[in-house]
Amino acid sequence: MDAFLTSRIISDILEGLTNGVIYGLVALSLVLIWRSTGILNFAQGAMPMFATYLGMIVFASYLGYWPLIGISVVAGFALGGVTERVLVRHLYGKPEINPIVVMVGFLIVLEAVAAAIWSTTPHGIPNPFSPVDWHLGGRPLALSPFSVYEIATALVVMTLVAALFRFTKLGLQLRASALAPEVSRLLGVRVSRMLTLGWVLSTGVGTICTVLVASNFFTGLNPQVMDGIFAFGFIAAAVGGLDSPVGAVVSGVTIGIILQFVGDYVNSNAIILTALIILIVSLMLRPNGIFTKSTARRV
Amino acid sequence: MNWSLIARRNGFLAGLLVVGLVAAFLATPRLRDGIVIGATVVVAIVGAAILATPGFRDAHPVVGRAVITLVVLDFTLFLTFFLPASTDFNLAVGAAMSIVLLGLSFLTGASGQISLGNAGFMGVGALAVAIWANHHPTTPIVVTILIAVACGALVGLLLGLPATRLRGPYLAGMTLAFVVAFPALDNSFSSWTGGDAGLELPTPVTSPHWLTGFFSANTSTFTLGTVWLTDMTIIVTAVAFFFMANLFASRAGRAMRLIRDNDVAAELVGISLPRARVLAFVVSAAYAALGGALWTLINNSISPPTYTLALSITILSLMVIGGIGTIPGAIIGGVIYAYSTNVITWFTSHVGVSSQSSLASQMPGIVFGALLILTMLFAPRGITGAIQRLLAWRRARNAA
Repeated sequence: MDAFLTSRIISDILEGLTNGVIYGLVALSLVLIWRSTGILNFAQGAMPMFATYLGMIVFASYLGYWPLIGISVVAGFALGGVTERVLVRHLYGKPEINPIVVMVGFLIVLEAVAAAIWSTTPHGIPNPFSPVDWHLGGRPLALSPFSVYEIATALVVMTLVAALFRFTKLGLQLRASALAPEVSRLLGVRVSRMLTLGWVLSTGVGTICTVLVASNFFTGLNPQVMDGIFAFGFIAAAVGGLDSPVGAVVSGVTIGIILQFVGDYVNSNAIILTALIILIVSLMLRPNGIFTKSTARRV
Repeated sequence: MNWSLIARRNGFLAGLLVVGLVAAFLATPRLRDGIVIGATVVVAIVGAAILATPGFRDAHPVVGRAVITLVVLDFTLFLTFFLPASTDFNLAVGAAMSIVLLGLSFLTGASGQISLGNAGFMGVGALAVAIWANHHPTTPIVVTILIAVACGALVGLLLGLPATRLRGPYLAGMTLAFVVAFPALDNSFSSWTGGDAGLELPTPVTSPHWLTGFFSANTSTFTLGTVWLTDMTIIVTAVAFFFMANLFASRAGRAMRLIRDNDVAAELVGISLPRARVLAFVVSAAYAALGGALWTLINNSISPPTYTLALSITILSLMVIGGIGTIPGAIIGGVIYAYSTNVITWFTSHVGVSSQSSLASQMPGIVFGALLILTMLFAPRGITGAIQRLLAWRRARNAA
């Protein structure tokens, strides 16, 4: 194998990894909501986008980069909680198309309002990380300080979410109320509060993800910044199984890397087509996702 | 049965018929126009008389539906001659959209599945017409349309196969991925599809010579042109609606409603769930392709960037606002689509928002999104459901 090919492959893997963690984060935020409330949130791209605008644009002239991430995430928490209390609460137990339709409606309202207030031109978000790739042996490596920051942040968020669910009492309550709401209620868990918390957490994770995407020098923040990424994130979540946080992250990263190779060796049109084929084939083979144990559906 | 009532009503209708015919011939300057108006009046009144006959619709449901279709068609076609050309154009676009809505309504209303991919299927139909017409310009237009519908159904079948095992949100997400992938699909075959620039039809669709001769175009009260395209679209729409009305009422339609309400019960009485689900999905895709094909004919060209997720969401909104799973709902949705741009522009300017501002350009999204949420939360059966409830309430009050 010659040096050029090696560096091309390494570059593809690194760049795929950078995209993949983003897909994994979106997938994770979808899974958080799906597990707690059984709703596939089609506004999962738009709500964090709106929160990011609130944090980044409204306060941008006063503070630096780091406080703004904090404000955005708080805005994301708030938006998630309010959405669950005001919009979603009425949808539990309704036919499964009702929440889909309402969240699609919310998606267009948020995007239209954001475009009306902040226009559709992308806003660059200045940040301390250089987007210029490092070089290895005279060849660019497709790895910049910014992408390291992206990957590291995503990994930290994923670890935190996993730790929350596994090691804290709150995580136990969250899992319990998703799995057996009646029993949890009898045991003193405030189930309705846990449902809200699921949305709060998910929108928070989504907001961090959106901030990462929008901080990218080549993207910037615009009202539709998450549309395409949402599609890939959904594909990752569906392939991994909407019930499985681990599956969401693993399939997100895997799909990111596969698609990077497809884009490099075939062409850019083939990326989304390959993703669609992966989705269709995996849904035909395992309709509930690769990482979920098949369960009988209760009638 | 109350015969005297029927006799009186038919006598009244016969009188109306004579008056209408005489008025038609007196009011029009030329005999041919008189014949056309006369025919319109005859169809309307005879249709109304048949429908008014008690027990007829129960005894002959299919004929009954055909008569309803004919009467509505008769009325709409008559109307198109008197509307300005731009209104006619909007009406044609809306009529084609109502076909798409009907297809989605069937999928959602009858089998409880939801699709966000209908803009993609529309795009398939629209492209198929343009490609076929460019390669085989001599094919009769009806055949070309049928080929486009078949293409849509085929793509629907490919996507629908996994749908047999999927539940709501997975299917919605998968169809979303399809419509997001549609531009890439279009660009991958750009030597055929013309990529983002799209294709033009080799020759615009025009009315046949005998019809132009009959009206001796532009000299009569009735001018042909936009009207021909509009009327053809409306006739195709009527045929599509007639088929769907029968499918709704057929064994397959009833089976699907049972699946929607209780899929386990449906399986227990021997309905094949996968087959019914795929059928619903394929029918909906074929209807969307028909709508897209008509759009290409109306515009005389196809612009692939039209067929995006945004259009899919508009389709979903219109279906929900009109009323899921109902035939009037699809018509209402089509009319809303035809004139919503005008209404929203009017509304925006009257609220005092500058038409140049970014708020004005985002108004359709805000209005449609808000309507979508409000309808789903407060009137899940849409406008049709609200009207039905109002009628039921009035009937109950009258009975009391």
